[in-house]
Amino acid sequence: MLTVIALIFIVALVSPWIHKLFGNKSGWVLALLPFGSFLYLASWLPHITAGNVVQQSTPWVSMALFQVDLAFYLDGLSLMFGLIITGIGTFIVLYGSGYLSGDAYLSRFYCAVLLFMGSMLGVVLADNLISIFVFWELTSFTSFILIGFSHEQENSRKAALKALLVTGIGGLALLAGLVLMGFASGHWEVSALLNEGDIIRNHPHYLAILILVLAGAFTKSAQFPFSFWLPGAMAAPTPVSAYLHSATMVKAGVYLLARMNPVLGSTETWLILVGGFGLLTLLVSAWLALSFTDMKQILAYSTVMALGTMIMLIGLGTEMAMKGLAVYILSHAMYKGALFMVAGAVDHEAGTRDVLKLGGLRPLMPISFAAAALAAISMAGIPPLYGFIAKEIVYEAALEAPLWPVLVITLAVIANIAIVAASAIVVIRPFLGKKVETPKKAHEAPLTMWIGPLILAVLGVLFGVLPFLVDRSLMIPVASSVFGAPMDFYLSLWHGFNLPLVLSLLTLTGGILVYLVWDRLRESAPMKVYQSGFAMGPINGYEGLLAGLLGLAGWQTRTIQNGLMSNYLITILVTMLVAVGYTFITRSGLVWNHSFENMLLQEWALSIAILTSLGIILAFRNSRLTMVIGAGVVGFSLALIYLMHGAADLAMTQVLVETLTVILVVLVLIHVPKLIEVRSTTSRIRDAVVAVGAGVLMTLLILAVTAVPFDAFISEYYAEASYPLAHGRNIVNVILVDFRALDTMGEVVVVAIAGLAVYALIKMKRFGSPDDPETEGAAPDGTASKQGKSS
Amino acid sequence: MESANELLTILPLIIIGAAGLFVMMLDAFTGSARLAYLATILFSAAALAVAVSDLFGPMGESFHGLITYGGTSSFGMVLVMTGTLFSVILSRDYLEKTGMHIAEVYSMILFAAFGMLLLVSSNNLVTLFLGIETMSISLYVLAGLVKNHKKSVEAALKYFLLGAFATGFLLYGIALLYGASGSTFLVDIAATEDKGMIYWAGVGLLLVGFFFKISAVPFHMWTPDVYQGAPTTITAFMATASKAAAFVAFILVLSRALPDARADWSDVIWLFALLTMVVGNILALVQDNVKRMLAYSSIAHAGYIMIGLAAGTDAAYSAVLFYLFAYTLMNIGAFGIVAYYEWHKGYDFTEVSNYSGLGFKQPIMGVLMSVFLFSMVGIPPFAGFIGKYRVFAAAVDEGLISLVIVGVLASAASVYYYLRVLVHLFMKESENGIVLSRPGTLYTASLLILAALTIFFGINPGVLTDLLGSFWTVQY
Repeated sequence: MLTVIALIFIVALVSPWIHKLFGNKSGWVLALLPFGSFLYLASWLPHITAGNVVQQSTPWVSMALFQVDLAFYLDGLSLMFGLIITGIGTFIVLYGSGYLSGDAYLSRFYCAVLLFMGSMLGVVLADNLISIFVFWELTSFTSFILIGFSHEQENSRKAALKALLVTGIGGLALLAGLVLMGFASGHWEVSALLNEGDIIRNHPHYLAILILVLAGAFTKSAQFPFSFWLPGAMAAPTPVSAYLHSATMVKAGVYLLARMNPVLGSTETWLILVGGFGLLTLLVSAWLALSFTDMKQILAYSTVMALGTMIMLIGLGTEMAMKGLAVYILSHAMYKGALFMVAGAVDHEAGTRDVLKLGGLRPLMPISFAAAALAAISMAGIPPLYGFIAKEIVYEAALEAPLWPVLVITLAVIANIAIVAASAIVVIRPFLGKKVETPKKAHEAPLTMWIGPLILAVLGVLFGVLPFLVDRSLMIPVASSVFGAPMDFYLSLWHGFNLPLVLSLLTLTGGILVYLVWDRLRESAPMKVYQSGFAMGPINGYEGLLAGLLGLAGWQTRTIQNGLMSNYLITILVTMLVAVGYTFITRSGLVWNHSFENMLLQEWALSIAILTSLGIILAFRNSRLTMVIGAGVVGFSLALIYLMHGAADLAMTQVLVETLTVILVVLVLIHVPKLIEVRSTTSRIRDAVVAVGAGVLMTLLILAVTAVPFDAFISEYYAEASYPLAHGRNIVNVILVDFRALDTMGEVVVVAIAGLAVYALIKMKRFGSPDDPETEGAAPDGTASKQGKSS
Repeated sequence: MESANELLTILPLIIIGAAGLFVMMLDAFTGSARLAYLATILFSAAALAVAVSDLFGPMGESFHGLITYGGTSSFGMVLVMTGTLFSVILSRDYLEKTGMHIAEVYSMILFAAFGMLLLVSSNNLVTLFLGIETMSISLYVLAGLVKNHKKSVEAALKYFLLGAFATGFLLYGIALLYGASGSTFLVDIAATEDKGMIYWAGVGLLLVGFFFKISAVPFHMWTPDVYQGAPTTITAFMATASKAAAFVAFILVLSRALPDARADWSDVIWLFALLTMVVGNILALVQDNVKRMLAYSSIAHAGYIMIGLAAGTDAAYSAVLFYLFAYTLMNIGAFGIVAYYEWHKGYDFTEVSNYSGLGFKQPIMGVLMSVFLFSMVGIPPFAGFIGKYRVFAAAVDEGLISLVIVGVLASAASVYYYLRVLVHLFMKESENGIVLSRPGTLYTASLLILAALTIFFGINPGVLTDLLGSFWTVQY
């Protein structure tokens, strides 16, 4: 199976060249690939029918926490999906070659559609949870490319993005769910998980897993209220709509839930969430279909309805529901694929797909009509077609629903009435009745475009009349693998006079009545409200969310990241204050064990001098010179403190450094334009608070440090070693010129280079922007330290 | 001889140090930027080769425990040299086309790389500080390379001033930790028994210093301004090599000096990771300037990586290392392509909207950009996915589920702004008459190599994950 998927990917990538090589015939050549895959999968059929499963595995990634193998698992469920994907895929490639013939981007269509096919096969065949996710996202991505196929059109691009965002985000939720599931059970293989249902269901994270997985499945399978992306995706070319957005990709969510039913299902939460959403979706969307006149929109909403039905059946979880699911998926894939392709053919040949502008096409497009009629009868659930069997079992399952069967069956019948009407609309309006003048002169579609729908429609008849063709071979394995236990049943067209048959008759009559009043119904006020509420509501919600997110980001940019250096600095300082201050307080409590009793008078005087100069800085802050001098006074006062404690050399160094700094800064300041105060009083107060906070924190830190006992080891070492080793009596001197001589030399070099830079600054005749001196200063400084090292 | 063997343990460092001096002299005597460029490539490639071979060599300490070599450090060196080598290759075409090609660039890049190499092999806080400063000072100069460009000068000044501030915090933190433990060796700090106030204040300030270097929110303010203002290929260098180096050093400090305090710093990093992912991604959404968008995206990536740090297990560290590698590949690539568009003088290719239709003008560049952006989104089968996935998985294993959920949601939001670029490149019509020049062969080739590596390690990550796991004794 790995070979098949890999082959599809490889052919997809070289398909542009194949297209070049074979020109018009490329569709036939490329269709061999899905057809071959179909035959390969079909060859497993006897094996599966016999009740076996197939597992194949190739090691891929070994990770810290688990293995990801390229493992594949084939049972009834995945086989049916695989057959649908490759079978309809064959027709789609052919159909696309006709539909897009002459389109400059046809080769791109082949490439993307085959990539999609490979990914989709991967989703249904993969055994590993992570591989499922990988393929799942690949289908979202290829769908994005295909929806945006007509990329010149704004609405195509928007629809593509909408679909990608909704399904992509859902996919990420799914990943989270799958990973949680893997951790909860310790198994990463679906095949192994199937036996671990009890562990997962009783796990404390069960609800989280369920919601995350459902979020993935519901977005992908367009369940209400996430359904809005699917009708939008009809902007894609029709072969894409027929394939991705009806037959396959949107069923990925159905597949996943069906697959996970033995693992996650049969709880009350599952029944309510899955069944409830399915029921809601099928009811809401069935009637939405009637509010449109575009054939593709009608079909899109009827697809959503079908997906809702499938999800509801999975939610019900009874044996009858599983049987219904198996039959319904197959019949839907056949009739909906056919109808979409016919809708595309009509659009292609007549130039419009608005049913109000079409009519009387039957003599002009007889084969398309035949296909459409058969498919629509199947969709409406009229005997003897396969769709009838499907609908009968769905009704039976609804009647047996574990919770509120009356409600379920009522809603199901109401929804199906709308679907009968919709089936009538898409066939009777365009093909029968009076001939209507169409934008293009209509004629029969080419062979490539009618062969697919016709075969699918005929199969619908065949399976309907002769249901034993598929029941034992495929339907039983499918239903059994969803149910999680072996099942046995047979399908038949005639179930006798029972309640479902009566309901079917009711549905049919109701549908025909609705069709007859459709024109009035569509234009009526309640229908308009209904449409704007349920079709446009979610879209508006989505767009509102998107706009809100962008608005929030814009606001953040304007207020926080506004390019002002002082704002940046304040943010950093405040964060530091909060973070370190918080640590400080929580770790130590505020213990105050410092006394000021033995402070001398001079020390008090000095402290006051320092504070005064700070005050001067603040008061005269409009003059840079005053600020520098104030800072200088602080420095000199520090020197005095050193002096008082007997560190004369340190004091002298401090005085020198301070003097030099003040002179340097003043020299620079001469060239800087006059300071203009632009800040408001509020921001001044804010700055003052932050500054005081930072000062207090640093003081606290210093006090904390001085509270720790002094470790005299290093000073004692230097005191003892300075004379015997370096023959000097002044310890500081010895440290500077002997013990750390290299450091001193480095510093001297740096100071010298800095001096040179200052000299250059003073000598410079012309100054550019006020920022220039700083960068000029930085460059020589950076290189200077390297030169210091090398010399 | 013992000392010669010790020198061998830091061979890449020696090669790059010597190269920096050599290239500077070359510039002084010949003034040829071309020669400087060739010499830089040769030396960088040699250092990279040595670093790669060291990956499979022994691990240990040298220079009295100041230096750690092999394992994580060697991988850090590989990251730094990969970033350096590719930035240098891409720089020539870009700088020549924009008229900024001067030989000093290369010696400054080499000196910065020297600092980074020292940073990733430091086993002592003082060595670490030396590395950080050597790197930072060179980067300040590089940011202000375009002297007659106001944005560039502004960027350099902001970077310098804020950087100096952060250095102050870092140094303060180191001093306090020294006060608390009596040593600057990472192992000795780990052995501190009396974890008093000074210790915690020191840890806090050290974290703030690192947060600045890895541009975690809210210490990220400098990043967008600097990334936008600096010449694009230099931005690529800053965004990849220097960030990777800072992260590797951060890992070394967290795992070696502060393993006992994990419960405490894990909470702090948890909070900042959250902020970084949310703010980085949200701000990236509204950026119209591509470079600025990539700057915010790099902030967002720092947030994802911090999830791994918050988890703080061996598996998480090895996941972070893998992530850094993927991050380096895809970011240099993306910046390289931005640089390519930007050098077309007649047009203004700085805003996303200017990119309309360019994807078809030079398809190879458009396709490469898609690869890099998809990898950044974290879509399989690209390396970015594996990186993100492994980091998230390691965090889930440590019970940081809520953080991972935020991470996943944040990356979901990121799809929007990455794809926006692609939508413009491929799905909009270009203005008439735009003619793109062909990129140089070496330029294209190096981007192709980056893309190939991104895909290779996305499909076949086992090669690297096994190796990285062995550094951290992760059981497979």
